[in-house]
Amino acid sequence: MRKVIALLLVAFVCLAGVVAGGSGESSGDTYKIGFIGPLTGDNANYGIRCSNAARLAINEINADGGVDGKMLELIAEDSEGTVDKALAAYEKLAYMDEVCAIIGPVFTSPALAVAQRCQEDGIVMISPSATHKDVTAQPATNPDGLNYVFRTVPSDALQSEVAGHYFYEVLGYRKLASLYAMNDYSQGLALGMKETFEALGGQVVAEETCMVGDKDFRTQLTEIRAAAPEAVYIPNYTVEDALILEQAAQLGVNVPFLSSDGFSDPEIYNLAPDFTDGVIYVGPAQAEASSILADFQVAYSEAYNGDSPDSFATNSYDATYILAAAIDRADSADTTAIRNEVAATDDFQGANGTMNFAANGDLVASQGVYEVEGTTPVYVGAFQVVDGHIVQVD
Amino acid sequence: MGTLTLYMQYIVNGLTLGAIYSLIALGYTMVYGILKFINFAHGDILMVGAFIGLIIYNALTGGEAADPSAWTLIAFFISMLISMASCAVLGMVIERIAYKPLRNANRLAPLLSAIGVSFILSNGAAWIFGTQSRRFPYPFENTPIHIGGISITPHQIVMVVVSVAMMLLLTFFVNKTRMGKAMRACSLDQSTSMLMGINVNRVISLTFAIGSALAAVGGMLAAFDFRVYPSMGTMTGLKAFVAAVIGGIGNIQGAMIGGILLGILEAVGAPLLHIPNGMRDTVAFAVLIIVLLVKPDGILGKNEREKV
Repeated sequence: MRKVIALLLVAFVCLAGVVAGGSGESSGDTYKIGFIGPLTGDNANYGIRCSNAARLAINEINADGGVDGKMLELIAEDSEGTVDKALAAYEKLAYMDEVCAIIGPVFTSPALAVAQRCQEDGIVMISPSATHKDVTAQPATNPDGLNYVFRTVPSDALQSEVAGHYFYEVLGYRKLASLYAMNDYSQGLALGMKETFEALGGQVVAEETCMVGDKDFRTQLTEIRAAAPEAVYIPNYTVEDALILEQAAQLGVNVPFLSSDGFSDPEIYNLAPDFTDGVIYVGPAQAEASSILADFQVAYSEAYNGDSPDSFATNSYDATYILAAAIDRADSADTTAIRNEVAATDDFQGANGTMNFAANGDLVASQGVYEVEGTTPVYVGAFQVVDGHIVQVD
Repeated sequence: MGTLTLYMQYIVNGLTLGAIYSLIALGYTMVYGILKFINFAHGDILMVGAFIGLIIYNALTGGEAADPSAWTLIAFFISMLISMASCAVLGMVIERIAYKPLRNANRLAPLLSAIGVSFILSNGAAWIFGTQSRRFPYPFENTPIHIGGISITPHQIVMVVVSVAMMLLLTFFVNKTRMGKAMRACSLDQSTSMLMGINVNRVISLTFAIGSALAAVGGMLAAFDFRVYPSMGTMTGLKAFVAAVIGGIGNIQGAMIGGILLGILEAVGAPLLHIPNGMRDTVAFAVLIIVLLVKPDGILGKNEREKV
């Protein structure tokens, strides 16, 4: 018996070695691009879609002859959405694989940590989805004092500002409640929205928190119910938002729910299909219906068993193309040259429309507002805050 | 809304949470009572139970599209029975492979083995099913009932009723049947029981079978609220373990009381102490530490000297 177990264990270890070894092999003369995101765990849906989109872009570029005849190679590392795993992934990518740039990390907290390292080591990082305002505010600690951190997703500072103005000025709410997870992303949005909303004269009457991974929100929702707000702002990831919506319905919290770009992941409609009706969320502004976006969506769906990409995956796709174009112009794998070319990106035409970076690496963008009808998000329009008032851009 | 209604609502919420903890705590407590060892893989058996239940339920009803009807209710019971049976077998197999060979080893060895099994189960599930959460559709109409400002869902009622029923059945089994008597004998002294002609191996297998079947029930009931995903057993298992310790590990009624108490503490503790809800696990674990300091054997635990 014991021998059998020992044999089984040995077999297991060998198998694990084979599986782990298969992914990271380098093949000669390529430009290596790293990816960091949650590929396993509760929120793997975000990371898998983003890495799929990056891989799709790279396959397309390679099928087209690569960059100056050299192939691009994506090395995807799993962060499980945690800071320490993301840093371990960064160290592998930066020091062992010696990638010339990194796409990701997907979540804010890992992105904050990896951004510091990228600034220090001088490696370009483009996050498709880390929205916290501080991600692009890390000091450039590299010898040249250059900024190496970019993102193809609008900053939270922008999102929460538009959210606060939209809720107050357009929807006319004066009393809101918020229920947010204690992580950088949700907290950043909730506090930012509160600041804007209260500066306008509104009031956040109940501010409730939870932990990522919590399954029971009834205590918080009961308190929110007692505070009688006009609407509840829930800027969280889909798993939490799905449970919050369902339990709110059960507890009779019959006010509209407002959310953030985390809600743009279609997974929410699998998890809580009966409770998404009427949710209004601020997310990425929709690109004008371009052939690039439509082609991307079709290609993605064909490549990945009919799955549809979320907005972060679209950002990841654009980030990969921006990077490839920068490598092409830099004509080398030199990280400083690549950084200069990424920063010099000028009116890049991507799936998200025309894209430019501000000096701090932030995306220049407006925000989209969506209203969910049943299980279909309906686009209301793109908004910007101009001179302290919200303006619809298109 | 009055403060009283508010707190009534917290208690209702806490009760249902506690019912799940109790059901799972029973498995920890039974194994501990007999083997004096903590089966850390128990939480993951709950996850396996939820997955098996979900797959069979979906196969029987045709998945998401099925509206609640008499048939979905029957399908739910069939899937629960199959899930219980499968988990019972799984529990026995795990015991035979991973724990029995270590029964006379250092006390740390089976504990580490259990942690290993826990990883194998959750990673295995992640490998087979993927890591995303899945929804377990309600087999019955889950329209909440409102009683004077308090909302209760039928699901919450089912959870409490099933948990209490399971505990009563288990108490009856342990106190009134021959096998139950054998179990109690084994928990007092294994070698003497063996000398008295009790098949100790069979008793231990049965203990694992019952504990795992209860975990399957807990997993399926929790699945409506928690969703089904490979790591669902980890935190729930840990909380249930805390519940077992609070109630007095090794004691069946203790597990029930500990679970309910923990659930209510979690729901009421944070608002009562005016701390953010995001930190409510702190309350649960602070209570654990206090219990361990003040009454290390738990609320219903017997104060007996450890024979080393």
